[in-house]
Amino acid sequence: MHERLSFYLKRDSLLHSLNPLTKLTLAFGLTFVAFLSPWYWTPQFVVLIIIIPLSILGRIQREYIFTALRLILPATAFLFVMQALFQPIGKTIIFQFWFLHITRESLSFAFANASRIFAMISSFTLFLLTTHPSELMSDLTRRGLPSQFAYVIISTIQIIPQMQSKAQTIIAAQRSRGLETEGSIFKRIGALVPLVGPLVFGSLVEVEERAIAIEARGFTSTRKKTSLREIRDTGFDKTLRSILVLMVLVIIVLKIRAS
Amino acid sequence: MAIVNLKQVTYTYPLTDTPALSKVDLQIKEGEFLAIIGPNGSGKSTLCYTLAGFIPHFFKGELEGSVEVAEVETKSSTLNEWVMNVGLVFQNPFNQISGAKYSVFEEIAFGLENLGVPREEINPRVEQALIMTGIDDLAERSPYSLSGGQQQRVALTSILVMQPKVLVLDEPTSQLDPIGTREVFGVIRSLAERGITVVMVEHKVEWVAQFADRVVALYEGQVLMDGKPREVLTSDQLVGKGFGISRYTSTAREAARRGLWPKKSELPVTLDEAITGFKK
Repeated sequence: MHERLSFYLKRDSLLHSLNPLTKLTLAFGLTFVAFLSPWYWTPQFVVLIIIIPLSILGRIQREYIFTALRLILPATAFLFVMQALFQPIGKTIIFQFWFLHITRESLSFAFANASRIFAMISSFTLFLLTTHPSELMSDLTRRGLPSQFAYVIISTIQIIPQMQSKAQTIIAAQRSRGLETEGSIFKRIGALVPLVGPLVFGSLVEVEERAIAIEARGFTSTRKKTSLREIRDTGFDKTLRSILVLMVLVIIVLKIRAS
Repeated sequence: MAIVNLKQVTYTYPLTDTPALSKVDLQIKEGEFLAIIGPNGSGKSTLCYTLAGFIPHFFKGELEGSVEVAEVETKSSTLNEWVMNVGLVFQNPFNQISGAKYSVFEEIAFGLENLGVPREEINPRVEQALIMTGIDDLAERSPYSLSGGQQQRVALTSILVMQPKVLVLDEPTSQLDPIGTREVFGVIRSLAERGITVVMVEHKVEWVAQFADRVVALYEGQVLMDGKPREVLTSDQLVGKGFGISRYTSTAREAARRGLWPKKSELPVTLDEAITGFKK
């Protein structure tokens, strides 16, 4: 069974003690800056000067670097190669093979784009590693997000692994009755059809039981909900959020003026 | 003093013609442990939903008669206030996990958060409930990483922590293996000893005989029998109607027919009673 369903790592650090909304603003802020800044090297700066030091501050540098090398780098490298090869821009050809060619411009464009995406995924990785999902949802609910909405998000994330294991059981059951799941691509797609019915209808039946279960725990109670977790929102958090919003606005203005 | 009072309760599910419950009269005393037995479709789950307020607040359909808990009628209350009167635990442990929480501790606190219990009160109440059901060692685990028996104990604790006046258990062990069943019954036994008012639907009559104060047999939506466990569970009235009957009772009944069971002594429900009887 799956013991860990979130990326969150429990550590004692300044970054962990920040309000979840502040960290969410930080992740979005850094993404905006990386994408909108008119300077070419901004995304690289964001990663090197902000994200890596922040990961050290949050005591999650090992996990961050690991994720960056194993996950983010291969994905962005793939994006880089594809865009360098197939972006039909520029005339200065620096590499040519058969029908493939790379121009100076497409290379530069691909690098910029891959770096931006790298910075974006990095900043959200940082966010996910240091923010407990329950804390984020409690905080957002307290700020007015409907609790039903928060429930749908969190329970969906939790239920995915359960759905996967249920799908495995159904496949095994169908195979034992002679369903072929190997062979050509069409055969494989065809094999999915008898899976959909039991999985979808089975889940719909479960919805009623689940609704009863959470009703029995007062989910629709009209009283004001409280939270087990104490979520702090300090003056420092508020200042930091204001600075971040201001920074994004400045970048937008600069972007408009540069273009 | 009856804490639960059902008078002439008749209920028909939407889109059906025959009532699932008809003219049920039932009084339950405070601190009583009542077991409900009955074949499939006899209205056991419907009775549980009626007590827990899901009928008429969640399932529509037609409810006649009156259902009162602590002198308040279900119809005049709302479901989310009613959950503080009657707590419901049902069969499937997996579907009772809220899915909104990452640890057992948080899962158990979920109901209290919804009811707006202040934080300072939540922590001690959750801790106390965890100890009461003996799952304090699971507090930090993910509810999804647990076995069926453990999940069912979490579901039970999540309801207990809300301190309902009456606890309704609808076949709490029907989807569990023997180990899980024993774990859950262990907790239920300790609740019975604490004098909590419990209504439990259960097929496993050998367990029922061990801690019920009273047994009600439901048949086709009506109360067929109501009395002491031994009296009801060994009654000839249950034979051939699809009731769960202990194998010890059946064996002894057959033995009695052949003159091998001591005359005038009652039929057994549990293994120990059967051994004592056959020794004579």
